[in-house]
Amino acid sequence: MTALDSRVAAPPDPAPDAEPRGGRRAAAARHGRDNRTAYLMIAPMVVLLGIFVFWPLANSVYLSTFKISFYQEPEFVGLDFYQYVLESPRFWESIVVGLYYAVLTVPTGIVIALLLASFIKTLSRRLASYMKVTVYLPAVVSTVVASVLFVFMYQDEGVINWMLSLLNHGPVNWLNDPSYALPAVAVPGIWLSFGVTTLILLAGLLDIPENYYESAQLDGAGFFQRLFKITIPLLKNVLLYLLVTGFTLAIQLFELPLIMTNGGPVDATTTPNLYIFNSFRDLTPYATSFSLTASLMLFVVLGAISLVIFKLVNSDKAIDG
Amino acid sequence: MTKSVPQRVFSAVLITLISLSVMFPLAWMAISGFKGKTEVLRSPFQFFPDMWRWDNYSAILADPQFMRAMGVTVVGALIFTALSLTVNTLAAYAFARLEFTGKRFWWVYCLTPMFIPAMAILLTSFMVVSDLGMLDTLAVLIIPGAASAGQMFFIRQFYLGFPIAVEEAALVDGATRWQIFVRVFLPQSAAPFVVMGIASYLAYWNAYVWPVLTITDPDLTQIMQFLGNFRSDRGNDWGLLMAGSTLASLPTIGLLLIFQRFIVNGVRISGIK
Repeated sequence: MTALDSRVAAPPDPAPDAEPRGGRRAAAARHGRDNRTAYLMIAPMVVLLGIFVFWPLANSVYLSTFKISFYQEPEFVGLDFYQYVLESPRFWESIVVGLYYAVLTVPTGIVIALLLASFIKTLSRRLASYMKVTVYLPAVVSTVVASVLFVFMYQDEGVINWMLSLLNHGPVNWLNDPSYALPAVAVPGIWLSFGVTTLILLAGLLDIPENYYESAQLDGAGFFQRLFKITIPLLKNVLLYLLVTGFTLAIQLFELPLIMTNGGPVDATTTPNLYIFNSFRDLTPYATSFSLTASLMLFVVLGAISLVIFKLVNSDKAIDG
Repeated sequence: MTKSVPQRVFSAVLITLISLSVMFPLAWMAISGFKGKTEVLRSPFQFFPDMWRWDNYSAILADPQFMRAMGVTVVGALIFTALSLTVNTLAAYAFARLEFTGKRFWWVYCLTPMFIPAMAILLTSFMVVSDLGMLDTLAVLIIPGAASAGQMFFIRQFYLGFPIAVEEAALVDGATRWQIFVRVFLPQSAAPFVVMGIASYLAYWNAYVWPVLTITDPDLTQIMQFLGNFRSDRGNDWGLLMAGSTLASLPTIGLLLIFQRFIVNGVRISGIK
């Protein structure tokens, strides 16, 4: 955040002679007025964030040190729940599922997006804008709709098994087979998100000076040589950004498996957030404290990753140009 | 760039293939809505319906709960969009243009929520809105999410690019900051407002978990919540479900098509630029 801060281009105070009434007092009076105006302007945001973000966060931290159940008074237990979470195999299993999902979706999504963006870049203006809208289309579809739609396509008699039958395969029971369920959830995950990735990569590609490619072509470099020698190194920052943000988002995945599989079969699609969400609704005693603590532990992990993002994004464009 | 004939053909084939594979799920959803109960998952497989029937679409349009959910969600989404633009734009202007005591602290304060995962505060946010008596009101869907760090940051970046000279001229003429904000900044904010407004609208329209937690009143059921319930209650009526999903997606797809230029360029600005 401090790095972001440094980008605040503070408007310089006007030179004293620009002040009609001149003198320091007028400037001080204006500063006072600006102060009041600024606080009035940020007040709604500050208050809303205080009530609906910071207070709940503080409360989560506070409550995670108590044993809460319907039958007894809350009892202070310190960091006990943190230990329980760390020792819970299901918590770690859900993290493994989350990592597996991220590995399935993030690199695939970026590769697809990079190929698409390189292709769109070669098109004429009109075709390019058509393609941009087309690839972005799934991004406006809701996760609920995508989940229901893909469950429908994954049915035994559904369109995906029909396509497989053309290749003399299947039918595969996609969502009920533990080894296929997570990849089956990953497909709509990629479908929903690759459009945004493509447009970001396209913006990055358009920033690379065209003459780099021209001289490479004169030297006889083929498509893949240009890709690996020019495009990828020059897009390093963008790719890192997409990789890390994609990763944090993927680990937080939750609505798709909630609607498509509710975590099954045998927890094969129970991502960390789904695990936490389902333990909120669990009726066993202390489930509340447990899931609160688990969500905070995940927050620590994600916070660390987010810090890495900002370090990377602001690590300056060492290779640019 | 001039291209040879094989290159043109190759491009055309590729464009067709990509368009087909991206749009296939959506097209399949719409087509399946035209199929009857016995047709929709019939074996042997059939791509198009025997007869294009409107039964599913007319049935879902005649369902008062569906229409109510669409209506309530449109109203909520519009209010949400207006409120979040107001709150975030005010803060964005202050952070872009004003010097004030404690600016650095409040800047970090307003940006930190970008890094707090929703799940870490889901349950305790629920406790807050329940203590405030907001459950089962439209307010619970609108107010808690209105302040958005990302949106404020985006608009602030845009305001940083405004020439300072105009503002100083107005100050010399004795205008207050509020007047400058309203007369100089707001009229030129159409582009970021469209991009961020649509993002807010989409976020509200597509929300699922928060409405499920906070709304039980059938009169306030949100559209995605309606679809979710529909799926668990009548999961096997796929034709009807696909028709409903198609209709529930039309407003967002329509927004994309209308504002395509803004949105597609907006991704570029909101990316890492």
